[in-house]
Amino acid sequence: MPDIPVTADPGETPTGTADTSTVVDLTAAAEVATADVPPELLAQSLGQYLRAWWLRVRGGDSGVLPVVLAIVVVAVSFQVANSKFLSSQNLVNLFEQSTVYMVLAMAEIFALLLAEIDLSVGLVMALGSVVVAELVQPTGADWPWWAAIIVALLACAAFGAIQGWLVAKLKMPSFIVTLGGLLILEGVAIIVLGGALVSIGNSHYTNEVVLYDIFYGRFDPVVSWILLAVLVGAAGAGLWLRDTRKRRNGLETAPRSLTAMKIVLMAVAGIAVVAICNVNRAHFGTIEGVPYIILIVLVVLAAWTVLLQRTRFGRYVYAIGGNAEAARRAGVSLPAVRIWGFVLASLTSGIAGVLFASWQVSLTTNIIKTANSYVLLAVAAAVIGGTSLFGGRGKTIHGVLGGLVIGGIYNGLYLLGVSSQWIDVVVAAVLLAAATIDVLSRRGAPRQA
Amino acid sequence: MTADAGEPPTGTADASTALDLTAAPEAATADVPGELLAQSLGQYVRAWWLRVRSGNSGVLPVILAIVLVAVVFEIVTPEHAFLRPSNLVYVFGQSTVYMMLAMAETVVLLLGEIDLSVGAVALFGGVVAFKLVQQPGPGWPWWAAMLAALIGCGLVGALQGTLTARLKIPSFVVTLGGFLLFSGILIIVLGGADGNVSVRSSVPNQRVIYDLVQGLIVPTAGWIALAVVVAAAGTAIWLRASTRRRHGLVAPPVSVTVIRIALVAVVGVAVVVICTINRGSSLVTVEGVPWVIPIVLVVLGAWTVLLQRTRFGRYVYAIGGNPEAARRAGVRLVAIRTWSFALCSATAGLGGILLGSFFFGQYSTNTADAGQLVLYSVAASVIGGVSLFGGRGKAIHGVLGGLLIGGIAYGVSLLSLGTLATPLQYILPGGVLLAAVLVDVLSRRGSVTRA
Repeated sequence: MPDIPVTADPGETPTGTADTSTVVDLTAAAEVATADVPPELLAQSLGQYLRAWWLRVRGGDSGVLPVVLAIVVVAVSFQVANSKFLSSQNLVNLFEQSTVYMVLAMAEIFALLLAEIDLSVGLVMALGSVVVAELVQPTGADWPWWAAIIVALLACAAFGAIQGWLVAKLKMPSFIVTLGGLLILEGVAIIVLGGALVSIGNSHYTNEVVLYDIFYGRFDPVVSWILLAVLVGAAGAGLWLRDTRKRRNGLETAPRSLTAMKIVLMAVAGIAVVAICNVNRAHFGTIEGVPYIILIVLVVLAAWTVLLQRTRFGRYVYAIGGNAEAARRAGVSLPAVRIWGFVLASLTSGIAGVLFASWQVSLTTNIIKTANSYVLLAVAAAVIGGTSLFGGRGKTIHGVLGGLVIGGIYNGLYLLGVSSQWIDVVVAAVLLAAATIDVLSRRGAPRQA
Repeated sequence: MTADAGEPPTGTADASTALDLTAAPEAATADVPGELLAQSLGQYVRAWWLRVRSGNSGVLPVILAIVLVAVVFEIVTPEHAFLRPSNLVYVFGQSTVYMMLAMAETVVLLLGEIDLSVGAVALFGGVVAFKLVQQPGPGWPWWAAMLAALIGCGLVGALQGTLTARLKIPSFVVTLGGFLLFSGILIIVLGGADGNVSVRSSVPNQRVIYDLVQGLIVPTAGWIALAVVVAAAGTAIWLRASTRRRHGLVAPPVSVTVIRIALVAVVGVAVVVICTINRGSSLVTVEGVPWVIPIVLVVLGAWTVLLQRTRFGRYVYAIGGNPEAARRAGVRLVAIRTWSFALCSATAGLGGILLGSFFFGQYSTNTADAGQLVLYSVAASVIGGVSLFGGRGKAIHGVLGGLLIGGIAYGVSLLSLGTLATPLQYILPGGVLLAAVLVDVLSRRGSVTRA
């Protein structure tokens, strides 16, 4: 490696050259772009930043770019085919449908980042949904809704812990453990359902109403705007303050213009979503406002992003996914991190299960078939979103964006009157395409898998 | 010793200079199977026991498991019905599908890959074959329809193999996509979610396909066929051993050869006796060996020869054992992997045709769950003794594992479990799969060669 005048690591290395007078274009050297340090970290002006970003994209680490392009392609092509696709009514519908895929994809990402796979996420979701629905039945357990949710999530997490233990401690291949887990859960879900239909649609019971409203409830338009202002304000302030603090302490920081751009982008996306959701989308009467479920997805996204990007646990997850042996030699406890990874995957699937129960309202054994196809959608969403199948590369946001693509494809094909088996064919093709892109982009990248 | 697993001349074939080569513990754990070096029955048994203890237990566990399952279900089923000839023949008919799929899965597992699409591809192959013999419709002769279905499945496999071998996409992702793709295409070929297709025994051309599992060989012909098969197999085993002995190659002791031939004869006689007992009612006589038994034997024979006696088979094991070493030795990884996936899918397609025949020639979207078929086939191969990590296993393991899975599935359905029956159909194979993999993992850990 030729000498590069910095020894920056991705952590927080002071460079001592924070004043602009001594700025060197550190991104100019091609080596920097391909080295372990993301060149954006070294960029000190917007131009340099963009150039560094482009180098990184060319190097195979394209981040969210392909999935954003995919969303645009999906939106444009379906809008051309059917002008209803981008109507506010359909878009809100699409957001709502996509949320379950998004949360499941976020669950799958924990396994994928560790270079494992979890094929049981769909059935864990089914387990979570039947447990939560059974526990609030007034004729049965009659638990308060919050207790039902907590127990359902704990049950899912416990199942994840068992699977994680088998993978991490006994070194069984994760796809077999979770395939077996999937089968066992099919049986368990049937037992919990007891062969009967379970519904949470009774508006006379508060507990059922709360669960129902998770998916179908929405904020008043005015509240939606206030909420947006608060969220964007808080996130913007957080971003800005973090950058300012880093700059003050002489750490590597993205240029100020970039921070401003990020905040503006966030605000624009937020305003667009709220504006779309606040249009009255009912044929008769009034249905308007942002669905609760969008906020729920954002909370899950924020929590897992912080966990993966800002904590020691997250760093260990990436370390194991990148090179398990290196991580082990660096003192990372592989079994503990792996078990927790599977616990978090199953816990997140449980969250998806609560959303799913609320979405479906009535649950029968048919959910098993649905849950089985959701596994593939979750993997596809994560990979389409930009998470690598080979571990160590990906973020929680990729799951959300990939889930939106999958939801868009489903929704668009359904609008066009395409039968469900053709939709399966299209989703399979998209999964294979995403996996191929993942493999090819890794091949282009300097570091070998 | 300079012996390798191939055909090393020992030069010490006469008994006077025989050394107990199995006595050294190294011999049992080295690459040379201890049995190859044994020169008496006692040594052979001892070497075999050492190999079992070191984790490479072959077919022993699965045979024990089959016996255990048979005994347990005979005890717990109402009226002790499990071992009735009618049930045994039915179990065998049901198991043949799992056996085919497990043999298909075995070759891919040997490479250290996995094929999650076997179930969907099998159903696809079955439906294509059934569609092609329809009258009115294409009206192809049965052999052309089956051939076309198998070639179609083979092409699917070749495509998946290409994606895995050339583009290096992980096989479980490719075949997961293939699973979804063909589950969809299957329904399209069937003509919608409520579509169905059937072959009837009243149409001569369709009757052949109908009879693959349902047809019976008349008892006399069954006995004659058994005699021919045992004689042929016995002669082959004997001639091979004696040829090796004559050329001074390592060969099992004569007594082991005799025991092997006797075992083949005993198993064959038992099967024919069971199948020849009248299992119908007092009015209708149902007796004879189902056609599907010789069919399975032919496929098993073909796979065994291909994997154990050809260069292709040796390359498959080499890649499964250590792909990089195989590559450096000049094995073309891409070609072998692609061919293996193609052969896997073609065998699965045959399983799909048998499945339709087993369901009395009916195929609908409810005939079988493709996902469950995959799990059963992976479970069957792993239970049979095929390692998930590549390089260890034989076609016979798939057959025995398939029999075990079929036995469990049918035994559970015989029990009057009420509401627990359906969930147990899912939970048992899942549990059995996990147990089998656990044994595989632990036995690999115990053995000398590391995964």
